[in-house]
Amino acid sequence: MKTFKAARWALFPAAAVGLALYSLWVIYPIIASAVTSLTNASPLKTSTDFVGLANYAQMQTDARLHRSFTFTLIVVIVSTIGSNVIGLAFALLLNGPGRSYKVMRMLAFIPQVLSGVVVAFIWRSILNQGGLLNTWLINLGVMDQAIPWIGTPNLATFSVCVVVTWVNTAFATVVYTASLQSVPEELVDAAIVDGAGWLSRFWNVTWPLIAPGTTISITLSLITSLKLYDVLAVLTGGGPANQTNSVAYYLIQVAFTGNRFGYGSAIGILLLAITAVTSFVSTGLLRRREAKL
Amino acid sequence: MKRRTRQRGLRLAGALAATVAFCIPIYIAFVNAFKTTYQIFYNPLALPWPPTLDNIVTAFQRSDHLVQGGLTNSVIVTGATLILVIPLGSLTSLWVFRLPPKPKSILLGFFAFGLMVPPQVGLQPTIRLLQALGLHLTYPGLILVNVGGGYLAFAVFVYVGFLRTVSQDVIEAARVDGAGEWRIWWSVVMPLIRPATVTVGIFVGLWTWNDFLSPLLILGPLKGQTITVGMYLSMSTYSTDYGQMFGIMLLAAVIPVAGYLISQREFIYGLMSGASKG
Repeated sequence: MKTFKAARWALFPAAAVGLALYSLWVIYPIIASAVTSLTNASPLKTSTDFVGLANYAQMQTDARLHRSFTFTLIVVIVSTIGSNVIGLAFALLLNGPGRSYKVMRMLAFIPQVLSGVVVAFIWRSILNQGGLLNTWLINLGVMDQAIPWIGTPNLATFSVCVVVTWVNTAFATVVYTASLQSVPEELVDAAIVDGAGWLSRFWNVTWPLIAPGTTISITLSLITSLKLYDVLAVLTGGGPANQTNSVAYYLIQVAFTGNRFGYGSAIGILLLAITAVTSFVSTGLLRRREAKL
Repeated sequence: MKRRTRQRGLRLAGALAATVAFCIPIYIAFVNAFKTTYQIFYNPLALPWPPTLDNIVTAFQRSDHLVQGGLTNSVIVTGATLILVIPLGSLTSLWVFRLPPKPKSILLGFFAFGLMVPPQVGLQPTIRLLQALGLHLTYPGLILVNVGGGYLAFAVFVYVGFLRTVSQDVIEAARVDGAGEWRIWWSVVMPLIRPATVTVGIFVGLWTWNDFLSPLLILGPLKGQTITVGMYLSMSTYSTDYGQMFGIMLLAAVIPVAGYLISQREFIYGLMSGASKG
């Protein structure tokens, strides 16, 4: 026991450095943000005043913030449902034997390896007014006028949903493929012997057994699309007319371009609260489902 | 029997069709890097025939040295982040892992919180703190923020998760033999938890390489940017030269994609273990 305690103190200096760095660059900035959110701080002002909850009250009348919430909500819902449905179907299709399936599974993950900046540039070159999709469709004679895929609010929202779903599908596919490979073959065979059809096998055997994969895939899709930033910076720049601002994108605009530290911090604290609640509720609900099975 | 083979063939055809459809954007980015802009617009889906290396060569000949400079900076920032985060993460984890249950779960919860914080939330105070320390617009500043701000939390999770699966007897045996704690960490524990180190290395490496917002704001737009941000800054102005754009993109993506293809098995393993603990 004595050696054990001594051992604990021997490594303490290293752990102290780790804890200090983490506290300094994760915890302190959040506390500082929470404090700043109660002030009207700005580099353009000589003095900073305490304003209480005024920044939070201001959110109620900020139409651009409301739009950014609606937009983020649309992207989160569409991309989470889309990427999990498509990813699961894709994984079921790719969960075959042999080399060709292995290569296909390998290719399906590549969108996750690329940076959001590269992903968005690829899609911008495809979706631009004078981009590849329009040129291709016009060359084919399908249509004679370019479609503004990222030029109108509704089409741009749709396009962002497509891109985010595409990236998250790559993740979902790999998680579901790995989960499917852990389903014991004997169970599936037993169901076949019992005369269970394809749908019944999936619903009664496979689906319950891949529950942990579902938890990971859904929760991470929710969190990554909640903090959506990189794709927007390149693909739409938040436009047209600020209609594709995510909350994270709007917050950076307010704090860094608009120099309104106080209000920007308040939005940040709200985003953090939403992310925390979402991930707790999501893992809580999905884990409970895992436990039930 | 015949019906079975036909079913198998149909399934393979379906899988192929789905994969091709899903990978079209990647295919477009890849083949068009080897085409002239005229060829790209003539038919974006055609194979690059005759292929040209002009896009790659002109990318390297740019007067701002975007590609050479960006790749060098990315290698430096990624390398330094990994060199710090791996020993610091494994040592912190080893220490946390041996704590009594109560403080251990409190500390793990403390680190878990960091995994979910959106990076945009604390960016403003982070930059003010860097300014106060004289580290704003410097590489050490960016590296420090990378290590402390989130990646260490990820490393702790992967390492603690893996330490649970490692037999403690070997460590005890080394201690009985009189090995010091630092010695045990380096010569006994590190080899035992190698798969966790591979996972941390792959993911932190990839995230650092692909990171956008922190390098953009911490290094600033003017000098010595990483390849990911450099590409963004140069291409917002160049966006009509598609050949050039695809050439630079290929060079920015080639290292992470090659790394993924080489370490594919570890990648998937890490994804499952890291994600289920996160």
